[in-house]
Amino acid sequence: MRFRWPTRDAWRRVPSRLAYLWRTSLQVRTVAITLLLTGAAILVTGIYMALSISNDLYQSRLDQALRDSSRATTTAQSTLNASDVSSGDAGKNLLNTVLQSVQASTSSRLVAAYRVPGQDTGVLAPPDRGSPAMNSVISPDLREKVQNGGMKQYYQSVALPAGGGTDPGIVVGSQLTLPSYGKYELYIGYNLRDSENTLLFVQNTLLVAGLALVLLIGAITWVIVRFVVEPIRVAARTSERLAAGDLAVRIPERGEDVFASLARSFNGMADSLQSQINQLATLSQLQQRFVSDVSHELRTPLTTIRLAGDVIYDQREGFPPATARTAELLHTQIERFDRLLSDLLEISRYDAGSVVLDAEPTNLVRLAEECVDELRTVAEQNGSELVLDAPGGYFDVPMDPRRIRRVVRNLLGNAIEHGEGRPVVVTVDSNESAVALTVRDFGIGMSAQDTGHVFDRFWRADPSRKRTLGGTGLGLAISLEDATLHSGWLQVWSSPGAGSCFRLTLPRVAGREITASPLSLAPTEDGTGVPQGSDAATGSEAHA
Amino acid sequence: MTSRILVVDDDTALAEMIGIVLRTEGFDPVFCEDGAQALEVFRSSKPDLVLLDLMLPGLDGIEVCDRIRAESGTPIIMLTAKSDTADVVKGLESGADDYMVKPFNPKELVARIRTRLRPAPASPPSDELTVGDLIVDVAGHEVRRGDARIALTPLEFDLLLALASKPQQVFTREMLLEQVWGYHYKADTRLVNVHVQRLRAKVEQDPDNPKIVMTVRGVGYRAGAAA
Repeated sequence: MRFRWPTRDAWRRVPSRLAYLWRTSLQVRTVAITLLLTGAAILVTGIYMALSISNDLYQSRLDQALRDSSRATTTAQSTLNASDVSSGDAGKNLLNTVLQSVQASTSSRLVAAYRVPGQDTGVLAPPDRGSPAMNSVISPDLREKVQNGGMKQYYQSVALPAGGGTDPGIVVGSQLTLPSYGKYELYIGYNLRDSENTLLFVQNTLLVAGLALVLLIGAITWVIVRFVVEPIRVAARTSERLAAGDLAVRIPERGEDVFASLARSFNGMADSLQSQINQLATLSQLQQRFVSDVSHELRTPLTTIRLAGDVIYDQREGFPPATARTAELLHTQIERFDRLLSDLLEISRYDAGSVVLDAEPTNLVRLAEECVDELRTVAEQNGSELVLDAPGGYFDVPMDPRRIRRVVRNLLGNAIEHGEGRPVVVTVDSNESAVALTVRDFGIGMSAQDTGHVFDRFWRADPSRKRTLGGTGLGLAISLEDATLHSGWLQVWSSPGAGSCFRLTLPRVAGREITASPLSLAPTEDGTGVPQGSDAATGSEAHA
Repeated sequence: MTSRILVVDDDTALAEMIGIVLRTEGFDPVFCEDGAQALEVFRSSKPDLVLLDLMLPGLDGIEVCDRIRAESGTPIIMLTAKSDTADVVKGLESGADDYMVKPFNPKELVARIRTRLRPAPASPPSDELTVGDLIVDVAGHEVRRGDARIALTPLEFDLLLALASKPQQVFTREMLLEQVWGYHYKADTRLVNVHVQRLRAKVEQDPDNPKIVMTVRGVGYRAGAAA
């Protein structure tokens, strides 16, 4: 991956990203805090050490300078006292000699002598002997002190010009007395460049050592926190995977420390979870298998009964009336039993998750037409007219036609059964994301409480009502499963006295999410027609 | 002529009941309860059609089907309690012509039997048709490549004949189900798929690259052009 210089936006996001790291990473937080605290501690220690070393260095150098200068001054004074000169040139020479010896004995090239002002000028005294480096740095304040201080030593920190810049230095001043010439101020300058260098070196060393120490501590903290955090991280990851359904996952158990015991108890928990889930899964599988097996086992005797029933039913003309009616009842109930068994099997297939969608391009309008034609006779027997209204939906949509036909037939059957002989309107329409079909009846409708239960298995709106079409009580439950299998919706609206409306919505493209259904569920004023006096607001909807 | 029908089912009550229905319709039923003996009974009774339960003691239905197919093209209708399992496809692949899911009603059973016993739909355009490099002798119920005769079951022959008699037409699976199997409503299209595969295995030089029974993607099948 090529490195890309972060854009301004990226820079702007840096603080928030750091804040995110701070919040989310224990490791980052711990290391940052450790670095901050140790850094502060080392900084304080380092500053203290640097200051005390610099003080110490300066003090010792000062002491040395004072001793040195005192010795040199004493020697010079005694040389002067011992000499006996009174003429002009001799005095000048004498001062030169003395200053040279001072220069030699103090190893300082910076020596200056000034005649203390205010003395008798009549004497031909030797003139000032300054040095260019010293003249500028000796302050009037120091000079005044030396002039009035007698034999005492005075000193001053100065910046000695050296090369292009300045060096730190000390100037020590005292008085010299030239016999018969008068008093002179003697100044000796000491360059502290060496000490300054030593100090800089020490400070640099301290700085480097401090930084190295901070980094080292940071690294150590990082490693230690990693040691501690890593097992926690493993535990977190493992529990995530466990929660996601990977029941076999475990934390590796190593050693005998607290993490090993964490791992052991976690694994114990996972074991018991796994065994319980497996047990439940086995139970549920067993139950589904049992339902499926029972259904299958029932089929062979049912086939025999059905064949026998049909043979008897075919000959009912020749029976006495009671027997003939018995044959008829036998026949219809065997058929009902047959349907019940198929529905039970279908539901058990859904429960077992063994249902596969066998989709092929199908035209929902054509499918609705076929279903309407199929059930027209039954509807007419119940006095209901079946009306198909299809403003849209004339194109192929991937669906399992067998299942969708079953859903539509089932919705139609329910509408006819509960339609009270009023028309049943089937509407098909489409939008950009879905096709939908509604089956609207104007029968007795259902209360809100009942509406919430229509998709329940074996649920009946009114147990006392007769069932003319002999539904199994599983029809809507299966229809709902069928719709869900297509990633579709099956919804109901119902209002007592106003009838019901069931809406099936299927995605136009398999697996694509439906944004909105093309048909409205609750009746609108200009829509499928609301019976007089009904109020749509009292209707209740159930979404599945 | 009474058609003889061999009923292979271990459930005696069901077998007897099927027998009653068949007799009423004028068939001559023969029974066998054990899969292991089914082949013997088949050989000795020489039935015109076999009703075969898939789950049998001794030898299972699929195995029985396989063995009967190995020596005869007699129509076989499977009886099964499970329509959703791979058993149905396995049964069809082993050569059963059709299947019925329990519980079936007697009229349906009789209709299926009659369709399978009925001779190929009369009124072929001519006595001999050509598909690819094959010659279909309609009157002689025979298919030849050059001089070599290819043995097809009656169903496979009907399937090939249906395609060959209208070489220009593409047949959807539903059309074939109606024309060859006699289904007048939506039925299991796996029947068509499996039998086209079986037919191809017999008539194509290279079944992976069919020249006789061509697939029309998304629609169905049609006969290959005459060579």
